[in-house]
Amino acid sequence: MGAAVDHVSPMGMSGGSAEGNNKSDGQRFSCKNKLTALVVDNGAVCRAIQTALLRSYGVETEAVETGEAAVQLIASGATFNLIIIEMLLPVLNGPETARQIRAMGAQSKILGISAFFDERHQQEFLAAGADRFIEKPLSPEIVIPIIWVLDN
Amino acid sequence: MERSQLLRQVAHQRQTLFDEGLLDEQFVQLEELQDRTNPNFVEEIVTTYYQDTSRLILNIEQELERRPLDYGRLDGYMYQFKGSSTSFGAKKVKAECSLFREYCRAGNGEGCMRTFQQLNREYATLKRKLEAYFQLARQARLTETASRPG
Repeated sequence: MGAAVDHVSPMGMSGGSAEGNNKSDGQRFSCKNKLTALVVDNGAVCRAIQTALLRSYGVETEAVETGEAAVQLIASGATFNLIIIEMLLPVLNGPETARQIRAMGAQSKILGISAFFDERHQQEFLAAGADRFIEKPLSPEIVIPIIWVLDN
Repeated sequence: MERSQLLRQVAHQRQTLFDEGLLDEQFVQLEELQDRTNPNFVEEIVTTYYQDTSRLILNIEQELERRPLDYGRLDGYMYQFKGSSTSFGAKKVKAECSLFREYCRAGNGEGCMRTFQQLNREYATLKRKLEAYFQLARQARLTETASRPG
């Protein structure tokens, strides 16, 4: 388990991961076109990591804490290729956020995300207009194919 | 301590965190996100994780003192705890979060309390070992800076 270390750059190295994402060999997947994403998550850790992950692939990413903030952003005219929405947001939950975003005509790819996989939540999200529902963490294995499709 | 020895120790401590099941591959993802444009990313996330989770621990402790237990609220807090721990790569802590939630859903208060105690122990161990690792890593960075030609 875990990456074996063959050189050490304290906290700045990795033993590598799948699909050529290893920054230590200088090659990381990056999108060709300008892509934008919105992360909607009330958890600071999740928000920061998901944002950093998307940005590392060249996706211009914004992050908000609430469903209401996401809806307001889109209502103000912002458009995103990809929107990642946490299930259990306070007040306006994930599926309701997705529903309101779709109701405004947004064509974004919407990914519902949750700390625990639950079929009911999946059904709720998909019924609300999300394209996919996954369990955290947001990983390169999930994100890269999505970005690749959007990019091509 | 000789620099190469220090670096070996850092590497060994890091590997131990994975071998002991405290961290999983998600933590490697965090390390991979750290680069020249984001040089303190891992430590920033660690700080945020501690802030998030210490608040949740306090909330859960308070809820566990109430009678009757509000399993809905407990479930909600643990959901957040698991989300943060999963994204961080805190493997053992994440596992305790899942177990706690099962007890919550079963309305098993004793199970919740027992699991929360175990979660606290795993969390404290993770924090202690991560701090030791980061301290050693910082020491290694300082020796690297000191050894650069002026």
